[in-house]
Amino acid sequence: MIKKTIALTLAALVGLSVLSGCKNDEEDNGSGTSGKKGVTISVVTSFGGDDGNRQNYEKAYQAFEKATGNKVSDNSQTSNETWKSQVMADFQTGAEPDVLFYFNGVDSNKLIQDKKVVSIDEIREVYPDYADNMKDDWMGASPVDGKNYSVPVNGFWELLFVNKKVLSDCGVDIPGADYTWEQFLKDCETIKQKGYTPIAASLFEVPHYWFEYTVFNHGNPENHLEVPSSATDAIGKKWQAGMEDIKTLFSKGFFPSNTLTAKDADTFQLFADGKAAFAIDGSWKLGWFTGTDNQAGNVDNIDDFTICFVPGSGERKATDIIGGISMGYYITRKAWDDPNKQKACVDFVEAMTTDEVVSAFGVTNVTALKNGTIVPDDVDSMTKRAIDLMQELTATVPAVQDQLTETARKALFADIQNVVSGKMTAQQAIASALDKNK
Amino acid sequence: MDNDSMIFKKKGPLLVFLLPALAFMALFLYYPFIMNIVNSFYQITGLGNSPEQLNQPWYANYQRLFEDPYMATALKNTLILMITTIVFQVGIALILALLIDNIKKGVQFFRTVYFFPIVISATALGLLFNLIFLYDTGMVNQIIQSIKPGSELIDWYDENHFLFTMLLPVMWQYVGFYFVIIATGLNNISPEIYEAARVDGTSGFQRVWYITLPLLRNVLCTCLTLAITGALKVFDLPWVMFGAGMPLNKSWLTGTYMYDITFGYADVDYGSAIAIVIVVLGVVISMLANRIFRERDI
Repeated sequence: MIKKTIALTLAALVGLSVLSGCKNDEEDNGSGTSGKKGVTISVVTSFGGDDGNRQNYEKAYQAFEKATGNKVSDNSQTSNETWKSQVMADFQTGAEPDVLFYFNGVDSNKLIQDKKVVSIDEIREVYPDYADNMKDDWMGASPVDGKNYSVPVNGFWELLFVNKKVLSDCGVDIPGADYTWEQFLKDCETIKQKGYTPIAASLFEVPHYWFEYTVFNHGNPENHLEVPSSATDAIGKKWQAGMEDIKTLFSKGFFPSNTLTAKDADTFQLFADGKAAFAIDGSWKLGWFTGTDNQAGNVDNIDDFTICFVPGSGERKATDIIGGISMGYYITRKAWDDPNKQKACVDFVEAMTTDEVVSAFGVTNVTALKNGTIVPDDVDSMTKRAIDLMQELTATVPAVQDQLTETARKALFADIQNVVSGKMTAQQAIASALDKNK
Repeated sequence: MDNDSMIFKKKGPLLVFLLPALAFMALFLYYPFIMNIVNSFYQITGLGNSPEQLNQPWYANYQRLFEDPYMATALKNTLILMITTIVFQVGIALILALLIDNIKKGVQFFRTVYFFPIVISATALGLLFNLIFLYDTGMVNQIIQSIKPGSELIDWYDENHFLFTMLLPVMWQYVGFYFVIIATGLNNISPEIYEAARVDGTSGFQRVWYITLPLLRNVLCTCLTLAITGALKVFDLPWVMFGAGMPLNKSWLTGTYMYDITFGYADVDYGSAIAIVIVVLGVVISMLANRIFRERDI
């Protein structure tokens, strides 16, 4: 009898706890509709791991949690091919997050085609002020239908990093906005004769910066994003000419002698150690020089380095650069259709893309903000130079490599070492990559 | 009837303990392996993606294996690795064990020193050897520069040196492993046999040749089988040091090539076909090694 009583009591307690759980859920969800408290939204971004903006991201979403009472279930990781595959697999298995920070180029085509994410236009039908601090033309429209789906944070640029001490020792001027490819070749020869390595680059690991600009030098901002249909059509020939330029730089000995076996970190160290003069890299590299809150910069004196435009040729002016906005916050269809989560997701994206938050993520970056980024007073010389260069731009074009599939892109860049070493022609490398671009 | 024999009569409890392990193996080894075979016939263009359609023809990936020059390179390098493993890993381990067997002091010290590389992770070792062989400021090039100032720096990763640079750390890491096995085998040989041989006036070399090696046969067979099968699985150290086939696609091993095809190119179906080649190669070579180096009663 006692056993029965205990069993019944326990069963009643379990039942009550389940019901009370339901009640809490309802309360949470109910209040979530108003976006004031209690809703937990799942978020996936690339600001995890050792991302330079991880602290900024965490600070921003914690401020959102405090202000709204909502909770963020964060599953951020570092962006790489495995992460991309995992994101796609989550969508396929119905385990997608409520908000996703992801690429807006071809990488997200499947999300758009399968209607897994909601367009900005659709969101604005309900929330007319959504992302109204951004320029619509700069938000990174989908290649599928030309519509905006994501709200960007920070864009990127790729420019020429210059070691001023090396140039000074060689009697070479710091490149200006009218820097030409011919002058660049002459400067490289002078630098080489003086015993320095003209260009710090690993053609084994990161040939893509030079590919982008050498191809760009044989075209213009209007046609840079065109992908060849075949290796021998007009665009294919443009790509061939670009790759031949890299081969010329290689055969003239302008790259480090171990460029085909060195890692990016090794060659960039040559640049930092004052053994190389030039290196092309992206806006994310600034932090490597300047350091972050937790880490010192990697150079003794940041004033020994500066940033310049990559030499231009033909129809491309030096001030036409590779850059743009490649990632942004998406609200998934699943979260949008959930009345309990819809407003919380909208509030979250708005909180993460205010002028202040975007500026904290990168003051020098290409930005979609209508008012531009907010620049602090105490910036270092490199950051200031990058901000100044942004004022001189004549065109900003995204990287054409992002128009290729992951497989084609990897094949193309893996073959650049074969092209420069004469084991393959540029035409064969392009044909092989296009064959994989499906 | 005593309790011991009861244990063997009642099979039920035995099954209770065996089944979970069997289920675990079936779920995490045999099922994925069978799915891997199936996947190799389909088109799969991303990790986590479902198979899209059957390849045309269905055996296209296996046809490609024979036409792929990098696969041939990977097989050739794996074979070289296997041979050098036998010669250098087991060979050096044997020599070291024989030398240490003949000293009276410091045996434990040498055992620890030689075994130490085994406990360091391959990734850490890869980074260590990357620093040793670094082009500009690496240890080896610095030593060469100090001996011969003004000489050209050597690119230890180029086409002329990559095989040495790749194989050396792998050999170095596992010598200690075989050294400990052989040293234990040497300990099991009775000192009285050596004593009797010494009384008969044999030289040190004769004792090794006529007593030690024949009595170590079974231990050496085990080492050789382990070395051959181990060589097929080498992945982490070469991957950390050479990445994707550096230089100019010359350094592929079957393991590194499969990884790059699957994770780098997202060509999951072809990666599955390469994985099957690795498994088949492993099974066949293990069987051959077991047959050739079969243990015998001494």
